[in-house]
Amino acid sequence: MSNSVNTRSQPGLSTTQRVAVSTGAVALVLGVWQLSGTLKWIDPLLLPPPTEIFQTTVDILADGYRQVSLWQHIWVSVLRATVAFAAAIATGIPLGLAMGLSQPVSAVLEPFVQFLRPLPKIALIPLTVVWFGIDEGSKFFLIYISCFLSVVVSAAAAAVGVSKNRIRAAQTLGANRYQVFTRVVLPNALPEIFTGVRLSIGIGWTSLIAAEMVAANSGLGWMVINAGTYLRTDVVMLGILLLGGIGYLFDLALVLLQRTFVPWAGRDA
Amino acid sequence: MNQIAQLPARVRLAGISKSFASGKQAATPVLSDISLELEQGELVCLLGPSGCGKSTILNLIAGFEQTDSGAILLDGSPVNKPGPERGVVFQQPTLFPWLSVLDNVTFGPRMAGVKKSVYLPEAERYLRLVGLQDFHHHMPWQLSGGMRQRVALARAWLPNPEILLMDEPFGALDAQTRLMMQELLTSVWQKTGTTILFITHDVDEALFLADRVLVMSARPGRICAEFKIPFPRPRDIEVLVADVGYGTLKQKILHIVREEARKSMAGTAP
Repeated sequence: MSNSVNTRSQPGLSTTQRVAVSTGAVALVLGVWQLSGTLKWIDPLLLPPPTEIFQTTVDILADGYRQVSLWQHIWVSVLRATVAFAAAIATGIPLGLAMGLSQPVSAVLEPFVQFLRPLPKIALIPLTVVWFGIDEGSKFFLIYISCFLSVVVSAAAAAVGVSKNRIRAAQTLGANRYQVFTRVVLPNALPEIFTGVRLSIGIGWTSLIAAEMVAANSGLGWMVINAGTYLRTDVVMLGILLLGGIGYLFDLALVLLQRTFVPWAGRDA
Repeated sequence: MNQIAQLPARVRLAGISKSFASGKQAATPVLSDISLELEQGELVCLLGPSGCGKSTILNLIAGFEQTDSGAILLDGSPVNKPGPERGVVFQQPTLFPWLSVLDNVTFGPRMAGVKKSVYLPEAERYLRLVGLQDFHHHMPWQLSGGMRQRVALARAWLPNPEILLMDEPFGALDAQTRLMMQELLTSVWQKTGTTILFITHDVDEALFLADRVLVMSARPGRICAEFKIPFPRPRDIEVLVADVGYGTLKQKILHIVREEARKSMAGTAP
């Protein structure tokens, strides 16, 4: 939060200048990339140039990839991720808040959360398949669990992070315990929860590939893995661009939500 | 304020002591055997070197902390937890950044379930008193430090507390703003007649504001001197500094404060 404020207030570059420089940098990389293919610096099989990826995109948009349309791949992945994100947020925030507010709850759950959170979720694939089969259940679980743990930890930290004097101010104004929670602790934690959710969604989106390694037959993650086994690096690159772009859009949507719902994020009072 | 000096004390601290345990060390006494009384409508400044425990006294009266021994009585009944009859203004404004100025100021009555038709005119009155009548719908971060502290003042004052506790509320402001806030505080106080305990380490601030100045010793804090401040109200800082009596009084108080500060420096030296 304060980070982005700092970036904006740095001397030298205005917002327009920043956007211009960033666009220029991307254009430059794309240009060099294209040249590397056109001038045969690099075997197109290893690094297909942007024009080839564009051509592939046009083809796949027309014919689909492995009998499934590109839109279907995108839709399936976004749906899987969104459902898992929603479930992770809906369950993770209350649990995290409970951990942050209650020492006993935190003492009980902390060891499990701290053990599972850094665990590479790919290691869970064999178990999830045994437990949830190879259908949507296991894919949902893999995205859910990685996103959920991260939400829990950040919500717990956010609930603890309220300043003592802010609570005291509310108490001297007559707020009871319940009011202190709903009117101070909760709104105070919201900006940090939002930031936590942003990070968690990034993590959850990352585990989409892991989830779609589990015997899927559609989805962007699956498309990338499948194309890789057939050395279709152009399709792999397209999948990567789409995964990155959609991840970016998710983050952008959350930034907009954050600005709308918690405009006080990072502000002093 | 002479005509009300005969009224019984609103706030009475009777022989309170407090010590804080720090790690494995033995508890360090912070306050020892403090007794003081505040009368209805009095503005008392508690003056002392930093670390002498003056904020601890405020925290005890506010109910944020508990005494080890002795009693704190508000209108005869003991104080043991925070409550709206004891308003607090902190060193930092401590506003709620998610609420507008008006919502911050009306936080108290809204928590108590007071009807909007009752608290709104009062809130408007207090916002006018602190000069923020045109800022109802601003958010705290859109205001300067001095304006935020005025919001905090109105917020603490609106529930009409028996006593207002102020913990160096103008300490973080620049000199000019601080002077304006001091004038603002005394003018609102003269209109409302609220009892105020004001903590400061600034002798000039104490002399300008107070009916009575209590000087605290180095840790463990005791009240080591008491001064009645005779200057008539409303006070004007320019008139005050030209007054010979002001200089003499300031010199006397400054002398004690400096002595105590020196002791506390010596006490904390390795």
